[in-house]
Amino acid sequence: MPETLQQNVLRDEQRLPAVPDPGVVVIFGASGDLTARKLVPALYDLAQGRRLPMEFAVVGISRTPMSHDEFRQKLRKGLDEQRAGSVSEDVWESFSKGLFYLPGDSKKPETYEELKAFLQQLDEERGTGGNRVYYLSSSPSLFSTIVERLGEAGMSQEEEGSGYARLVIEKPFGRDLESAKELNGDILRYFREKQIYRIDHYLGKETVQNILALRFSNGIFEPIWNQHYVDHVQITVAEDIGVGTRGAFYEEAGALRDIVQNHVMQVLCLTAMEPPVAFDADSLREEKVKVLKAVRPIPEDEVGEYAVRGQYDGGWVFGEEVKGYREEGNVAPDSETETYVALKLLVDNWRWAGVPFYVRAGKRMPKKSTEIAIQFHKTPHTPFSGPDTRGLEPNVLVIRVQPEEGVSMKIGAKVPGSGFEVRSVNMDLLYGSAFMEEAPDAYQRLLLDLMLGDPTLFIRADEAEGAWEILQPVMESWSKDGHSARYAAGTWGPDEAAALLGHDGREWRRP
Amino acid sequence: MSVEQVERELARLRMDEDGTPGLRASVLNLVTVTDEESAGEVTRIVSKLAGRFPCRAIVMISDTEEQDANLDIRVSAFCDVQGGTGSQVCAEQVEIHAEGPPAHHLMSLAGPLLLPDLPVFLWYPGPFTPNLPEFSSMADLADRIVVNSAAASDSGVCLQELSELAQDTSMPAVGDLQWVGLSPWRSLVTALFDPPDRREELEQIHRVEILHDSRGESRALLLAGWLASTLGWRPESARDNDGAREFVFDGPSGEITVALDPGSEDASLRRVRLYGRELSFQVSRHRELTEAMSTVMRGEELLGERTVQLGFFDQDIILGEELRFRGRDESYAAALRTVAEMLEL
Ligand SMILES: NC(=O)c1ccc[n+]([C@@H]2O[C@H](COP(=O)([O-])OP(=O)(O)OC[C@H]3O[C@@H](n4cnc5c(N)ncnc54)[C@H](OP(=O)(O)O)[C@@H]3O)[C@@H](O)[C@H]2O)c1
Repeated sequence: MPETLQQNVLRDEQRLPAVPDPGVVVIFGASGDLTARKLVPALYDLAQGRRLPMEFAVVGISRTPMSHDEFRQKLRKGLDEQRAGSVSEDVWESFSKGLFYLPGDSKKPETYEELKAFLQQLDEERGTGGNRVYYLSSSPSLFSTIVERLGEAGMSQEEEGSGYARLVIEKPFGRDLESAKELNGDILRYFREKQIYRIDHYLGKETVQNILALRFSNGIFEPIWNQHYVDHVQITVAEDIGVGTRGAFYEEAGALRDIVQNHVMQVLCLTAMEPPVAFDADSLREEKVKVLKAVRPIPEDEVGEYAVRGQYDGGWVFGEEVKGYREEGNVAPDSETETYVALKLLVDNWRWAGVPFYVRAGKRMPKKSTEIAIQFHKTPHTPFSGPDTRGLEPNVLVIRVQPEEGVSMKIGAKVPGSGFEVRSVNMDLLYGSAFMEEAPDAYQRLLLDLMLGDPTLFIRADEAEGAWEILQPVMESWSKDGHSARYAAGTWGPDEAAALLGHDGREWRRP
Repeated sequence: MSVEQVERELARLRMDEDGTPGLRASVLNLVTVTDEESAGEVTRIVSKLAGRFPCRAIVMISDTEEQDANLDIRVSAFCDVQGGTGSQVCAEQVEIHAEGPPAHHLMSLAGPLLLPDLPVFLWYPGPFTPNLPEFSSMADLADRIVVNSAAASDSGVCLQELSELAQDTSMPAVGDLQWVGLSPWRSLVTALFDPPDRREELEQIHRVEILHDSRGESRALLLAGWLASTLGWRPESARDNDGAREFVFDGPSGEITVALDPGSEDASLRRVRLYGRELSFQVSRHRELTEAMSTVMRGEELLGERTVQLGFFDQDIILGEELRFRGRDESYAAALRTVAEMLEL
């Protein structure tokens, strides 16, 4: 074939943003919350910004009976809520013509026959070229069934010249090691790893990606990013909100499954990993997996020394009185579900030997904050006299992910005046604000990447399992003895968490 | 004002309410050479840019005709307060009015005021020609030159000069706001040929029609030059009927005619149509002009259609787009070369 026929020679890769090939996104769970609140608004933004191909369609599937038009209206309502005032009628009109709905039970094989025929029809009518993304946004209990049905219907195969078939799995990916392995097994029976995109939307966040940029595009950090210089690391993922209307869901999940297994473990990997050879899917994920493998297993009978869980009582958050967890809707009055987790993890490799990583995640903390604090060793010796250095603390480098992205560095400086009194001064750089572009929504980035076939920011099978494996002893021990320590809403967690560090002669930072 | 005074004054302007100096995050230097009338507009653009490109802008307003030496320097800072956190992002602006002899030595004024370690963009918002007296010395300071080819009185001449400039490897890379404004159009035209079965049609294009207005002449020429240079069309002949120009190219599958019609009433670039063997393609701005509609037709039959946002056309956004780009833009240079060849016919 002449070159002009193989690829579109007009495509200017230097200057114009990449646009995916024609294709269809099939959403399972199309009547649900995520579809209306995140997925379709993100697709709309991409369409409006010329990032989608002209030959594009969305097919939604769930049981609720709806016509194409009712589906479009429902999504339009969701879009108006999410993007108030910025929806263009003309763009919506054109975008919504590509939205379709098929009522059907994802458990029934008939649904897939119907879907298959419909997709073929779309290929003919809208030129979608046989490319399909299957987005599983229905309840996790259906993931395996949907995959199996797709496989049985022959829809998971990518044959020569037939277009791609990609599978997107929402979180949670299993609820423990065993179920994650089972799910991986179920999926891999029909799809190859290359076709699978496991979502952790944290990785779609610009600010999380910036951890990599900060570490690997600045020569000054890498040489000190190890046990010679670092005393310990603290990772905090704090939310100020409570469980709100998601009580029923949360009762089943808890902070360990909801936040720690995915988001916190990802941040840990990005912080501790070795520099990848290239920023591509395999190099990056290989390094992340190595970190997970290096985390020292917590002995089941010593969980108490490494892990703390807590649950919030009523209290005050930023001037507002809030309910305790047990008073929230759809929560058992004697629930022991944890809304706070603190862990001490050790990464047994050359770089991090002996450096504890203290991680914590919680709801109803005093403020929303995600940060990584690298606490450096004290200077081995100070030439300044004791009283002069009273206000001096070891250096800390903090990478703030949210809300205000930036880095801050605590350094010692001389207090003006006679003598040689030194104090710690905080240097604070909000580099996020150096580029006040409104960062694209995480789902926008991830949907685009997966249509472009770039799995770098998605989770690989061994990553998902590796993260569960670390938490397995904790979950087992907690399931046997069910008591969560109490903390008042609006505080930084239970006393037991403070003791976890106190035991090592350290303290939690106040983010 | 001395260089030290300028720096001190800028630091004072950045000061937080409690008197501590606000930390500065900056990403670039922006040096512009402009005249008295346009200075206000330039200031407005710089201030709008502050949120996304905190920078130091040095606005030079020069009058070389004046005999007496006169130098006036003013400083200002534009700060955007970020959502609730109270932290500021600032653009600093130094405005330099130079008349008489100092106006011949703008580089000596701009040089010492640049922030170290950051790239320097030299921006000509008004008519540009490389023959401007201060240009070559100012270009020595710059990492990139940004011009607006539509601001010239004769955009054809300007594009020809830019083509030479872009080929001169001793000069910094050149960017053109008209080329930036063309990107959405290029994206949309490109997208029309993404389905593999349309590639053959792309090879078979035999006629292109571009509807523009007088402001859009340089964009229209660049669009034609881009298509021709990427698709391997060689300019053969040109005709001019009352301002409507027609260029004939020789391409891999035969002759191609590109017609430039300056009859647009409401937009610098209104519509582009491409005719292949069986299909015809069109991208046109929508009623409201903020959107564009793409269509693919087989005869009278509509095969595909969609509407997207064409992008925002405020000067500050277009300039911002250009400031993100570093390095030499090969497609632009190739398009310019073809335009220069077309205009020589
Ligand atoms: N919502 C969020 O903010 C969020 C955030 C992160 C991750 N997630 C994950 O995203 C997924 C979807 O979440 P969600 O909040 O959108 O859930 P949801 O609102 O409960 O929606 C579930 C969807 O699944 C459909 N469904 C259930 N059983 C079905 C069946 N047998 N056949 C066909 N369709 C069926 C439901 O529609 P019908 O009842 O009409 O069939 C509904 O559309 C979950 O895995 C969740 O963990 C959600």
